[in-house]
Amino acid sequence: MNDILRLSLPLTVWLAAFSALYGLHGVLCSPRWDEAALGLAAGRGVLGLAGLLAVAAQVALLLALRSGRFASPSGFVRATSVGLSVVALVATLWTLIPVAATSTCL
Amino acid sequence: MNALQRHRALTRIWASEPGWTGWLTTVNHNDLGRMFLVAAATFFGIGGLLAMLIRAQLASPRSAFMGPEVYNQVFTMHGTIMMFLFAIPLFEGLTVYLLPKMLGTRDLAFPRLGAYGFWCYVFGGSMLVLSLLAGVAPDSGWFMYPPLSSSLGSPGINSDVWLIGITFVEISAISAAVEVVVTILRYRAPGMSLDRMPIFAWYMLVVAVMILTGFPPMILGSILLELERAFGMPFFQVAEGGDSLLWQHLFWLFGHPEVYIIFLPAAGVVSTILPVMARRTLMGYGWIVGAAVSLGVLSFGLWVHHMFTTGIPHMGLAFFSAASTLVAVPTAVQIFAWIGTLWTGRPQLRLPMLWILAFFATFVIGGLTGVMVAVVPFDWQVHDTHFVVAHLHYVLVGGFVFPMLAAIYYWLPHMTGRRRFFRLGETAFWLIVVGFHVTFLAVHWVGLLGQRRRTETYEPGQGWEIINLVSSIGGFVTAIGFGLVLVDVVVNAAVAIRGSRDPWGAGTLEWAMPTPPPAYNFASLPEVRGRDPLYDDPDLPVRIARGEGFLGTPRGNLRETLTVDVASGRAAHHVVLPGNTALPIVMALVTGGAFVGMLLKLYWLVPLAALGVIILAIRWVWTLGSRTDLGPQDVGRGLALPAAPEVEDPPGWWGTLFLLIADATLFGSLLFGYAFLWTVAPNWPPPAYLEPGALMPALAGAGALLAVLGPRVAERGLRRSGQAGAGLGLTLAGAVGAAVAAGLAIRGAADPQAHAYDATVWVLGGYVLFHAVLLALMVGVLGARAWAGFLSPLRYGELRILRLWADYGAAATVLGLAAAGLPGALT
Amino acid sequence: MSVVHPAGPAAATIATLWWVLLAGAVAIFGLVMGLLALAFRPRESTGGDRVWIVGLGLVFPLAVLGSLLAYGLVVGERLLPREAPDLVTVRAEGRQWAWSFSYADAPDRVTEGVLHIPAGRPVDVEITTVDVIHSFWVPRLAGKLDAIPGHVNRLRIEAWAPGEYAGVSSEYSGPGYREHVFTVRAHDAEGWSAFLAGGTP
Repeated sequence: MNDILRLSLPLTVWLAAFSALYGLHGVLCSPRWDEAALGLAAGRGVLGLAGLLAVAAQVALLLALRSGRFASPSGFVRATSVGLSVVALVATLWTLIPVAATSTCL
Repeated sequence: MNALQRHRALTRIWASEPGWTGWLTTVNHNDLGRMFLVAAATFFGIGGLLAMLIRAQLASPRSAFMGPEVYNQVFTMHGTIMMFLFAIPLFEGLTVYLLPKMLGTRDLAFPRLGAYGFWCYVFGGSMLVLSLLAGVAPDSGWFMYPPLSSSLGSPGINSDVWLIGITFVEISAISAAVEVVVTILRYRAPGMSLDRMPIFAWYMLVVAVMILTGFPPMILGSILLELERAFGMPFFQVAEGGDSLLWQHLFWLFGHPEVYIIFLPAAGVVSTILPVMARRTLMGYGWIVGAAVSLGVLSFGLWVHHMFTTGIPHMGLAFFSAASTLVAVPTAVQIFAWIGTLWTGRPQLRLPMLWILAFFATFVIGGLTGVMVAVVPFDWQVHDTHFVVAHLHYVLVGGFVFPMLAAIYYWLPHMTGRRRFFRLGETAFWLIVVGFHVTFLAVHWVGLLGQRRRTETYEPGQGWEIINLVSSIGGFVTAIGFGLVLVDVVVNAAVAIRGSRDPWGAGTLEWAMPTPPPAYNFASLPEVRGRDPLYDDPDLPVRIARGEGFLGTPRGNLRETLTVDVASGRAAHHVVLPGNTALPIVMALVTGGAFVGMLLKLYWLVPLAALGVIILAIRWVWTLGSRTDLGPQDVGRGLALPAAPEVEDPPGWWGTLFLLIADATLFGSLLFGYAFLWTVAPNWPPPAYLEPGALMPALAGAGALLAVLGPRVAERGLRRSGQAGAGLGLTLAGAVGAAVAAGLAIRGAADPQAHAYDATVWVLGGYVLFHAVLLALMVGVLGARAWAGFLSPLRYGELRILRLWADYGAAATVLGLAAAGLPGALT
Repeated sequence: MSVVHPAGPAAATIATLWWVLLAGAVAIFGLVMGLLALAFRPRESTGGDRVWIVGLGLVFPLAVLGSLLAYGLVVGERLLPREAPDLVTVRAEGRQWAWSFSYADAPDRVTEGVLHIPAGRPVDVEITTVDVIHSFWVPRLAGKLDAIPGHVNRLRIEAWAPGEYAGVSSEYSGPGYREHVFTVRAHDAEGWSAFLAGGTP
């Protein structure tokens, strides 16, 4: 079971971060954010911060899966889980591109 | 005991009953797999017929063949049947049939659950087809967007048929998925560690987990939409605080993973067959496993790309555009690993290989047009035109139907024990492939010229006439090809000559048995030392038949098999599977009663059917377990394993765990929907929030605490002194506390028809109440089982199952009621 | 109705995008099919995991998709309804199965089935619906945008030249869906003033 977790955790964390980021963006562009009167610049800052957190989480996972303490005893699972962790990190960076590249609420 | 005696003894134990009742009472995966395949093929025939009606209608402009009322039912049902009644059940059937054989075991983990799922599928599917014959079939398009599909746009029964029929059918997808996950993780030949699993099992592991997390959002959406239609709870009505976009989110949260749920089994088939056809092993096994897992998870981040034109801000769309382009990478990894396998092998152009080549040519085009529509501005133009229709047919036919045809021709000798003799298959191949490409290349083109999908006809003079005619002709050629495949398969299955055991020279375990396969698969369970056991040891089939593996000596009437450790594949437990019974089909019929009651608004039938299901479920669990301590069981080869009733994680614990993952996804989708309405729906906040007071949170908290403590206390008592009563009592008290708290929440909310918030509180409360009642029922059943002697200090595994449900119920109580009560407490 | 015969800047940008996509897709399809065909020639086996999986499976698609994503995002940004000096705002309201249009510059005018716009000026269409979901689509001018109950979506369109352009609803809406169409009439400057002044050009 632990091996299944090692294989599935990094990408699941990506999915959670991705969905949370999208949800956060939804809140930023909703009337609720206007009611809070915080402004769009602050909103973009929050998005950036959330993105940084997601990247940090992925890096931490990658280091953990390579470390002696958390790595799988099976060579196959170790290699595959580290590979999938790299995939999750790349996916996190890739899907963060819009935060830098697009306008917030148009 | 010689091989023949062993064969007779095992056949007596594992075979279905003789005569026609055997079909109704069988729980054996050999039968159920074939029944799934035949049923799915039948629905494919019906869906294909509807496709031909569509192409006949569109062949010429101003066609008077069908009016919009009929045409709308035809295209809705074509999509619905192909997606829900053909594609998913077809690969389920193939998996049910193949998986235990490939994994080196005798049956799936939960044979009766598999049979129950099959009958739910057949009954639910029949409801839909009957509605078509009665002229009241769903007509809002296969993705059922409200308000069109709700009371406003569809006052008739049509939408109810879809919502209720499909939910009924989805029981089979969920139960098959639970069964497949547990089988792959636990029911393998000893020695088959994760990295020695056949690649198909990896793919199906991913697919089954995807079903468990992908289907619940749509099941929830269907429940909410049916609640809106039947009881006026306004989840999707904007005036009362709902939002029609919520449906689109819930539907595509399912709908996009669904595409990969359909594609990945086919990719698993390609990864299995292609190396055999290339006379080598698969290139990059670990890479492919990684690609399949990546694809499975990434596909959950694509759902909004079906909603690019709904007015979501560009950054929101851009997230999904990025994810949609990224998902092409693991697909590319697989494609090039397959081509690399061919380059480094000696590929042979036999019929399954031809179909795989057709898969490449078609699926690559579908993937490339998929990348096109992932580019947001391009999608703004082609969304809801025939271009998208063509794209999705390239993906689904190229990425699913063609590999499945390869699978049929590859495993047909396995199912029939015969060699293909008549060569209609090659003619059919060319008719289908050429016909398909003519049809749908034309459909791309006419879409770019502006033809929308779902119009029953069109005006001449826009340059569409010739293209549509060509497309229709291609469609008919394709249909003739499929007809020939049917004839070819039937004729070759019925009258062709006997073939050899392993005609393709494959290395996986399904070819290590006589063909057609005996009901028990393996006379004894082999010990596995590599990924391709038959390449490692060509004499393996003989040694299996001689009983040199595990469990080679049949005992009494027991359907014996064993489970392994998840990661290492070490033999772990001895399991006895249930035998033939009519319980699954009866339970499916009674379950159907509840759905028919909802559909026809005979609401008195619903609680009656629910009561019937409860009684049958108690009967179901009563046949499991043991009333005496069994001790270690001899499984042969000098090995003794603990019996499943005497372990802390019996198969039922694993099944529960994965069922709860699906349940948690449903609950998570509900919380998402609530947050979505709060953020996006125009008419929020509601006039008043629920006032939680002090009693409801206190009861919920105390109930949750007791529910968590109870099973633990019960286990301690049972293992120390043989007494579980006190702990079960605590659990019951916890369940009652949670139920009363949920009742208070429901009573405290305003009229559920008034505002989507109140309707949501009702559903949250109802969800908590349902789990509390379920927990109380389980405590009752376990108490009765303790009294009847099913529990002992050694046999405490059932309390672990209760503990899973209790922990989950406690978490749902706290989260659900907090979500319902917090807005009121904070304002 | 044709997407590949644009009559305005947004549709033209997307048409160009399409031709680029098509060229790229044909090239990649040719590459894959070529590699597949070559696998069947008699030869010594070639290429290890590294070439196939890392080179062709990872690096190649990441490069292509990265540039494509960037291109798509840039084009998408360019088509957004941003502030513009000579912007005209109109409103489109869909219902089963008709469209009515109203005009910010002529508050009293409502037209049924015909949307009047000035040619050569950016126009923002505020799209909404009173019943089920519809979609506002004038293929030769721009992409489509849905009309969602309770929401107002904003779409930027522009016609290069005066003339009539076919528009349709492109979200399935029940039995009358096929005939749920409208016309966009783009006027020259004089015609537009005349329209605003109450004339019926």
